Amino acid sequence: MDERLKESLSAMLDDQADELSVRRVLACPDQDEVRAQWQRWQTVRDLLHDGHGSDGINTDAIDISAQVRQALHGPQVDETDAATNVAVAVTGDRRKNWHWTAVAMVFAGLLVGFGMGSSWGPYSADGYVPVVSEQPRGAGVGAGVAVPEVALQRLDDAQWEQLSRYLLEHAQHNSVAAGRGAVGYARLASVSAPAY
Amino acid sequence: MSNYAISSVSWGFRCRRWALWLLVMVTLPSLASASSAAGDDAEAWLSRLGPALNMTTYRGVFVYSRGDQVSSMRIAHRYRDGQVEERLVQQDGASGEIVRKGTQVVCVLPDHGRVKLDQVTPSGPFADTFASQRVLTRDWYQPQLLGEDRVAGYSAKVVGLNARDGDRYSYRLWLEKDTGLLLKSHVRGQDGSVLESFQFTDLEITDSLPDSEFEIQLDGQEIRQRVPPATAGEAPPPRMDGWYLGWRPDGFLPAAAPVSGDGQAVAFSDGLAAFSVFVEPAGRLDMPTGASRIGATTAYMRPLEAGEQAFLVTVIGEIPPQTAMKVAESVAVQDAGAFGAAAP
Repeated sequence: MDERLKESLSAMLDDQADELSVRRVLACPDQDEVRAQWQRWQTVRDLLHDGHGSDGINTDAIDISAQVRQALHGPQVDETDAATNVAVAVTGDRRKNWHWTAVAMVFAGLLVGFGMGSSWGPYSADGYVPVVSEQPRGAGVGAGVAVPEVALQRLDDAQWEQLSRYLLEHAQHNSVAAGRGAVGYARLASVSAPAY
Repeated sequence: MSNYAISSVSWGFRCRRWALWLLVMVTLPSLASASSAAGDDAEAWLSRLGPALNMTTYRGVFVYSRGDQVSSMRIAHRYRDGQVEERLVQQDGASGEIVRKGTQVVCVLPDHGRVKLDQVTPSGPFADTFASQRVLTRDWYQPQLLGEDRVAGYSAKVVGLNARDGDRYSYRLWLEKDTGLLLKSHVRGQDGSVLESFQFTDLEITDSLPDSEFEIQLDGQEIRQRVPPATAGEAPPPRMDGWYLGWRPDGFLPAAAPVSGDGQAVAFSDGLAAFSVFVEPAGRLDMPTGASRIGATTAYMRPLEAGEQAFLVTVIGEIPPQTAMKVAESVAVQDAGAFGAAAP
């Protein structure tokens, strides 16, 4: 693992990674190494922050960053919703398995990838757009609400097909509804472009 | 300023500061009055946008980007005998074509493997109402004339439309000075970052274009769509049988009622931004909960249980993720039976 990659990974750990960094990490052919490094750093971080360690292999022992807790609890999503957040089959008592779900989310994100429209922590793939809402005024959505993100690349074929059907339908309304002609058509054509 | 530069540093600094103060004092009152005038002026420019989109005859190439997608299209557009004719050809990837003749829209889009267009039910009536209405909704966007620029060889007025609340994005539009044609546009996030952009790179505004420019030249899967003639201010009634929205951002009105398989969909627009809400029996498909973003477009999905039945709620639009989430979470199903032959 080269220094640049380490730097990117470290930035991800600190929730400071931009899209390029995330892509760099994902592009690394040796994902096992990336994962191992991530686990090591998480463990070190745990030790530094909480004074208790983990063996670095047992993922259950790894503390999950505050962002994940916020992602799960912030939007006032109930336990059921939080659990379905991840397309990971969680059986048994959801409360008991909460930590595992969160871990799975972090690792699934790391393993499967951050697609377009996905992000790490509060940074979006569109470049430094905070997902935690910043309200210019008091109106509208409550401030500080974290929105759970779904990476398009994590969707399987059936899921992607469903979503792209919606995207296309929306683009079709949009092509005329917003009265901006070509922009709407461009969105429509853009949906049919490959998602990578 | 060059005089100050050759003086001693402190003297120069003081002078610059003094000059700055002077500048502020002189320009402040005029700025205050100018800003409201600029707003009106911006509005005047925006009022030209709607007609210009239809009634200008032009051809050119534009580039469109959102997220990490960039695509370009060749467009020919003419207005003749009160009818709009338009042909757009995709310039990269597999070729695709969209041809519009008055109320007829024919899309010839390639199958990219992942998007099966034969499975796409063409959406219900296109809502042409907004195209004929005033594009600007001053209540939701603060118009501002930002200055002048040049795009694709044409002089342009730059108009900013800043969202008045956090429920929508802001826009920046470049309008051609003579015709008001949209030459370039940005959708901007709350921090000013450009989420989506559209721009002509090559443009010829002309009086007439030959018929040959408007013929479909591709073979392939066709989707025909009839655009109903615009009926002033009359949106088709939204199909919201058995479900309702508990919340929607101010200013968004029902704009179209597309057909969506077993489910139902309603589109809302505030004149610039639009979002669609899809409510469908979930069937066997298990969708994750959360938002995906492609540039300015957010897709928020969430499962919903009503009675014994599972539904999938999806909100897609050029709106911030927080807004999409709030809309999606406000969806409630009252009558699962209204969804017809729903999967168990």
